[in-house]
Amino acid sequence: MTDESTVIELKNLTKVYQNGVEFRALDNANLRIEKGEFVAIVGPSGSGKSTLMHLIGLLDTPSSGTLLIDGKDVTKMSDKERSGMRNRILGFVFQYHHLLPDFTALENVMMPLLIAGKSREKAKNVAEELLEKVGLEGRMDHRPGELSGGQNQRVAIARALSCSPAIVLGDEPTGNLDTKSGDMIYELLRQLNREYNQTFIVVTHNDDLASKADKIIRLVDGKITVR
Amino acid sequence: MRYELLIALRQIRARKFQTLLSVGAIALAVMVLTVSHSLLVGVTGELYNITVDKLPQVSVSPEEGEDYIYLYGTLVERVSSIEGVTAVSPFLTGQASFKFKDNSLNSELRGVIPSQENEISSIEEDMVEGSFQEIEFSRNTVVIGSKLAEKLEVNLGDSVDVSFPNANPLSLRVVGIFHTGSPLDEVLTYTSLDTAQQFYDASNVVNGVSVHLRDFNRDREVANEIKKLGYNAKSWTETDPAILRTIAIESTSNAVIYGLIVVIASFGVVSTLNLSVISATGQIGMLRAMGAQVSGIQRIFILQSGIIGLLGALFGTFAGVLIALAIGQYEIPADQSDLYGSISFIPIAVRLHDILFIIFAVFLLNLITGIYPARQAAKLDPVKAISSK
Repeated sequence: MTDESTVIELKNLTKVYQNGVEFRALDNANLRIEKGEFVAIVGPSGSGKSTLMHLIGLLDTPSSGTLLIDGKDVTKMSDKERSGMRNRILGFVFQYHHLLPDFTALENVMMPLLIAGKSREKAKNVAEELLEKVGLEGRMDHRPGELSGGQNQRVAIARALSCSPAIVLGDEPTGNLDTKSGDMIYELLRQLNREYNQTFIVVTHNDDLASKADKIIRLVDGKITVR
Repeated sequence: MRYELLIALRQIRARKFQTLLSVGAIALAVMVLTVSHSLLVGVTGELYNITVDKLPQVSVSPEEGEDYIYLYGTLVERVSSIEGVTAVSPFLTGQASFKFKDNSLNSELRGVIPSQENEISSIEEDMVEGSFQEIEFSRNTVVIGSKLAEKLEVNLGDSVDVSFPNANPLSLRVVGIFHTGSPLDEVLTYTSLDTAQQFYDASNVVNGVSVHLRDFNRDREVANEIKKLGYNAKSWTETDPAILRTIAIESTSNAVIYGLIVVIASFGVVSTLNLSVISATGQIGMLRAMGAQVSGIQRIFILQSGIIGLLGALFGTFAGVLIALAIGQYEIPADQSDLYGSISFIPIAVRLHDILFIIFAVFLLNLITGIYPARQAAKLDPVKAISSK
C-alpha cells in the first residue's frame, strides 16, 4: 500500500536500449520519493541518471517494471494522458533552457498555462509573480536573445513552476553556467522547494551541490547503489 | 487564442524573409491563375454568346416518320407562351441548286418569316448589301451569303435559277447579301415561307421551328416542356454537343496547368517548414515536456502552412483581380476587330464565387501540404529533441 506522502514510486523499473547491442540503461530500479523532498541524482556519465529522469518525467517509456506517480500507474498511459500529466504535475528545467526565441520572458513563462487552456490574463498574472520570484521583474519583456545564460535559466525555472507542478525535474540545470550563476540557480531551486513544498529531483555531477540535498541517489551502471 | 496559433503566427513573423518568399511564390501563382481564369471565363462566355446566341437553342422537328409539321400556327402559339421563350421561328428548308450564267452550286434554301427568323439568328446585323426583310415584301426573292454570291458571280438585283429534283424550278431575284464570316456564307440562303412552300411543292406546312430563349442554359428544360406538348424537340446541347465539349476541354486543361503551378508554389512552403522543424527541434522537445500533445505540435506547423497559403491566396487573388480588370479595360483597335468577330473589348469575367473558391482551395491545399513537416515535427523523440541545441 502506497502511503499518502509518497509522490513517486519505482518498482523494478528497467529501461533497455536495443541498438544492435543490448544496453541496460536502468536496471531493476526500486525507489520511493516523498512529497516535498529535494533529491539529487548523482553518478558518472552514462550511469543512467538522465534515463531515470526521462522516465519519471514521462518523456520516455520503461521496458519493464512499474512507475507510480501520485499513486497512478503511468506506464500504460496514452500520449494524451501523459501530455496532460506532464502539463499539470511536472515541471522541467534542462541543461539548455530551450526558451522559444520569438517570445518574451513573460510569454515563455505563460506558455505551459496556455497549453493547459488557461486564459491569457490568468497566465499573465501567474507568470509575472513567478518572474518576480526569480528576480527578473525588470526583464519580463526581453526575449531570450537579450538575456544572459543565468537569466534565461531563471526564466526556465519560472516556466517550470508556472502550472504549480507537484514535481520539478532538473537535468543538470546548472551544467551550462559558470560556478557563481550555478550556485545562485541551485540556491533558488532550494529556496523555492522550501517555499512551495514541491518535490524537486535534480540530476547533477556536482557533489558539492548534491550534498545540500535531502536525499542523494547514486547510480552506477544503471543500478541504484545508495538511497 | 490557442497556443498553437500563437506560436504559428509568431514563427511566421520571425522568419520574415522566408515568409515573404513563400507568400510571394504562392501569390504569384495564384495571381496568374486568377487572371487566366477570368480571361477564360470571359472568353468562354463571349464564345457562348456569339455561337449559342445565334443558334436555335431549341429546335422542333417533325414527328418520327413525318416530313412536315402541320398546323404549325398552333405550335408557334403554344411554344411562345412557355416561360423564358423570347422568339419562335417556323421554317421550311431543303436543298436547292443555284445557277447563274455558267456557275452552279448547291445550297440550303430556307423559307422563313423574316421578322421572326431575325430574332433567332440576328441575320440583319450581318447584312452587307440589300435588306433581309425584302424577301417578305416581294415575291420570288432570295437573300444569299457573300461566299455563294462570290462563287456564282452574282450581284444584288441579279436573278438566279433555283431548281432541284422533285421541286418546282423558280427564278429568284437576289435582294440581299449577308456576311457572317462562317461557312454559312456559302451554304445557307433565305427566302419567304410562301416561296419555299411553292418551290418544294408543299401546302402551308413547315419542317422545323427554331426557338430562342432568354437564358440559353435552360435549353433542356424548355425542350422537355415542348416534348410534353407532344412535339419532337431537341436542345442545342443535344444538337451541337461539340461546342460544349470543345469549351469544356479547353477549360479543364487550363485549370490543370495553373492548378499545378499553385501546387508547386505550395511545396516551396514544405521545404521552408522542414528547415524550421530542424532548427526548432529543441523547442519542440520542450513544448512536449511542457505538455503539448503530438497533435498540438502538428497543428503548429499545419497552421503555419495554412496561414502562408491563405496570405498568398489573398494577395494573389487581389493582384489577379486588379490585373484582370485592367485587361478588361483594353479596347481592341477597330481595324483589328474583324479578327475577333464583333468583340470590342478583351472579355474578362471576374466572378466572386470563383475568387472565393480559389482562396479556399489554396488554403486547403496548404493545410494538406503542411501535414508532411508537421509529421516530421511530431515524430521527434522528445528526449532526443531536448538534448539537441
